Amino acid sequence: MTTQRMEIDIQEVPESEGVVILHFSGDLTSECVRRINECFSAVGKKGKTYAIANMAEVTLISSAVLGEFMGCRKRLIEEHGDLVFCGLDLEMRTKLHLMGATKIFRIYTDIRTALNSYKWEIERQPEKFHVSFPPYLKIVPPLRQLVSRIARQKGYGNRDSFRIETIVDEICNNAVEHGRPKADDLIDLTVIIDPDKIEIDVRNMSDPDKVASLTAMLLPEKTDTDKPKPDVKRGRGLSLIKMLSDGMSVECTDRGTSVRVKKVREE
Amino acid sequence: MAKTEDHNGKEIFPQCRKISIPFSVNVRFPGDLDYIPAVRKFVSELLQVSDFSPKFAYRSEIIVDEICNNAVTYGCQTDDAHIELLNKIFDDRIEFTIRDQGGTNNNLRRLKTAVKSGSSGKKKQTKPGLGLEIVRMLSERLDVVIDEKNLTSVHVVRKREDERGDVTLSN
Repeated sequence: MTTQRMEIDIQEVPESEGVVILHFSGDLTSECVRRINECFSAVGKKGKTYAIANMAEVTLISSAVLGEFMGCRKRLIEEHGDLVFCGLDLEMRTKLHLMGATKIFRIYTDIRTALNSYKWEIERQPEKFHVSFPPYLKIVPPLRQLVSRIARQKGYGNRDSFRIETIVDEICNNAVEHGRPKADDLIDLTVIIDPDKIEIDVRNMSDPDKVASLTAMLLPEKTDTDKPKPDVKRGRGLSLIKMLSDGMSVECTDRGTSVRVKKVREE
Repeated sequence: MAKTEDHNGKEIFPQCRKISIPFSVNVRFPGDLDYIPAVRKFVSELLQVSDFSPKFAYRSEIIVDEICNNAVTYGCQTDDAHIELLNKIFDDRIEFTIRDQGGTNNNLRRLKTAVKSGSSGKKKQTKPGLGLEIVRMLSERLDVVIDEKNLTSVHVVRKREDERGDVTLSN
């Protein structure tokens, strides 16, 4: 059986200086160890500390090469970087799993996902998502779940996610209750999330009859007499949001109401 | 705003009452696979609160998953690439429109071929059909529009199953 010669193509990423993409192809046999070592040394000399090894064209990975990759990863980690894999097919992934390599290396489906992960974890770039929905209370539970699931997927803990969920629920419920009831008057939910904090912004078209009462309710310096009394069943939403969050601002104009809440990641 | 009463005589707001259909919910999320599980679950729950059956919701979830996966994998090239998912919910159907910024010419050609080969009844494909086969099986209509700037828009119409019988996945 003939082996396919290994090729390594080095690709730099202009927008992320510390990152390099290494496109491997062919059979990574034990004879390739030296070349791989030299390649990583060259990458290190260029100041690249985060290597994404694209294995989409790789047909074999020997245990010697895997060992070499572990050594290279160790060197990169010492420089606060990492070596991650992407583009592995199912068969190759299963083999790596059987060798226990999946416990050491992080494996991504494609280059883009690996790059996104770098931007998220190392560059700590925020990501933004947006939902516009009609003012129906029934839509709020799926929405709170959506934000909570995304927070969990992005590495936030269960407690943080639940608190985020509660905040989204409260603000969206308020927007539905106090906004215009027509289906065309959509409510905008914008979430900006990064590894350290989440910012939630909800905008709705204000019901003209309620603007005055809403503005009064949102005044920051409420006296004790204005606070909800123990026997009153409603009106604790904003107090709850303030308690769970690390910053809240409300803008109430004729055009609409915008509630912005910041929650710092705790765990 | 006038309050109404529920069956227990408690006061409720008009928004608490049944959702008035048709309505639209638009989601815009980064071109990152991480977001897809949460988005597909959201669509499923959205359909269930709109009185569609869990089976209908689950099958719609599969459509969203397939199309959004394609949009992220093949239609996002720049750093700030986003996917737009428009859900329009009617009494008898849901219409999805999934927009991305468009992929390479090669990927666009592949998408066109996958859509064409399915609609013309051809079964044999040399490359994977981008999951569109299952989307077509689960939906009433599937259209792809690619504009001059390569912006790709996939439009899927899925009707209530109880009105047209079950979809068989075996064929």
